[in-house]
Amino acid sequence: MSKHVLLCDDETAIIRAAEIKLSRAGYRVTCCSDGQAALEAIQLETPDLLLTDCQMPRLGGLELIRRLRELEATHDLPIYMLTAKGFELSAEELKAKWNVLGVIAKPFSPREVLKLVDDLFAVGAV
Amino acid sequence: MPQVDDSDRTELRDAVFPMPRALLQLIPSLICASAATAVVVGLGLVAGALAHAALAVALIWSVCAAQWYMVHRERMDQVVARRYLELLTHLQEPGLAPVFNAESLPAVDHRSPWYAPLTRIRDFLASFHDRQMQLETSRTALDIRLQRTLAQLELNAAVLSKVGEPVLAVDAYDELLLANSAAEMLLETHGEKRRIAGGSMRDKLTNMIADVRRRPVSAHRTEELEWTDAQGHKRWYRATVDNLRDQPSGFEHGGAVVVLRDVSAAREIQQQHAEFVSAASHEMKTPLAGIKAYVELLADGEAESETEREEFLDVITGQADRLQRLIENLLNIARIEAGVVQVSKSSRGVNEIAAEALEVLRPAAEAKQITLVSDLSPLYLGAMVDRDMLSQAIINLLSNAVKYTPQGGTVTLRSRLADHEIQIDVEDTGVGLSEEDCVRVFEKFYRVEKDKNMAAGTGLGLALAQHIVEDVHGGHLTVRSKLGQGSTFGITIPSAGRNA
Repeated sequence: MSKHVLLCDDETAIIRAAEIKLSRAGYRVTCCSDGQAALEAIQLETPDLLLTDCQMPRLGGLELIRRLRELEATHDLPIYMLTAKGFELSAEELKAKWNVLGVIAKPFSPREVLKLVDDLFAVGAV
Repeated sequence: MPQVDDSDRTELRDAVFPMPRALLQLIPSLICASAATAVVVGLGLVAGALAHAALAVALIWSVCAAQWYMVHRERMDQVVARRYLELLTHLQEPGLAPVFNAESLPAVDHRSPWYAPLTRIRDFLASFHDRQMQLETSRTALDIRLQRTLAQLELNAAVLSKVGEPVLAVDAYDELLLANSAAEMLLETHGEKRRIAGGSMRDKLTNMIADVRRRPVSAHRTEELEWTDAQGHKRWYRATVDNLRDQPSGFEHGGAVVVLRDVSAAREIQQQHAEFVSAASHEMKTPLAGIKAYVELLADGEAESETEREEFLDVITGQADRLQRLIENLLNIARIEAGVVQVSKSSRGVNEIAAEALEVLRPAAEAKQITLVSDLSPLYLGAMVDRDMLSQAIINLLSNAVKYTPQGGTVTLRSRLADHEIQIDVEDTGVGLSEEDCVRVFEKFYRVEKDKNMAAGTGLGLALAQHIVEDVHGGHLTVRSKLGQGSTFGITIPSAGRNA
């Protein structure tokens, strides 16, 4: 069964590009446009991987992660952050504090995102 | 002060003309002399030698006169010596320097056996008097200098108290020597001694003082220190600590002067600039991310149909347009900063501009299921305006309203003519603003902390709108808001009728 990736970003154009790339590579992709929608979607069905933006309406990326880590089902959910904030978010700190696998800086390449996701599932980390 | 007074003079006169008292003292001698004279006269009568008698009388009177002279001179010497001794005694009295005129000192008879020692005493007293006069002159000069110095000190203290920056000086044991009124807040009192207060800043200041104190030559150190006041507000001070070793009247044993400059405002501006650059770069990266992603999708042949290829190209064009608008906005701000804005005003209908602005925001509002209400006046509201600029200001207000109104809310655009002025209100049912935010919301780069994550922004939109309304159109931009109960931003500009 194909792996389920949840994409969360209020920039629908950007999320659509990643969705096209990942779904053509065989992943099952769900898109949400803010943190609240993602939280609700995850509670319905836990994905294998979450890629989320940081700054979003209703519920921001960091707050989404904090809430997910409090839930047993998503305590260890693999998460990557997508952000244009660059140096303001420390990957090390995110990893240490919230077990975030890494930060993908915007503007990102869909190719690289696909490779990252492929590598993640290939090594059997999840 | 002992002086040669009238009683002394009387004494001296008595010494010089002592007849009545001297005569009393000489009565026994005179009785003896008279008896002897009678005997001699008797004998002379007997001997008939009157010459001898006369000679004897002369001899006796001579003896008496000589005795009288000797007594008188001795008394004179005693009076003069006593006077000199009195003066010498007074010289030894602490704090009672005698004031006398050297000329008025009694003269010493050169035939007196006391002439040599009394003359030395007289010379000493005379030179003492001269020295005393010199000292008196110096003391007066010192008094004048002291008064001037005290006046200068008072002036310095007054000037120092008016210096807005805290200035203080401490001794080798960090105890306070001087502090102006601005520095008072930094001090705490331990009994009689006052020291620098202020938690972490005190420790750092004390370290800086200790450092410059160790230097054998003139040295100073400057650092920026954080300070939390009694109300818990954080401020930043640039502290300069100097040991004043290069000053003639500087500190000899480890004292230091501390001057603090409040750099909180500069720090805040730095912080705002950093946040602005961060927000601006974030805003620019987002459309760039779209362009880059879709160009890559096209390059990888991900477009499976012509429709999809066109969709990708539309996204690229849209994102490029967005990037261009953002750059225009940044340039506008830069132009406003540099004061090189080109304004081109013409008579326009404000309702028309407002309606167009509302349409610009319609897609964003629909995406958030926000109802846009157009409540424009049925009257023609003519005004002399720069069309593009006024449109930009209304768009900025509408954009903020949509950004900070939760899903399902309402944003109303209203226009009215009131008292020869045109009123354009943008009312929302959004998160609202606190009283402090209402005051600060027009500041450049200012963003409401708690709402930052609701939407991306540069913190320039309202600053730009205020500049357009107030500086370019001579109107007012105001805000009425309550936390949690929505906000109303109101533009007021003169109508064309009023201008004419």
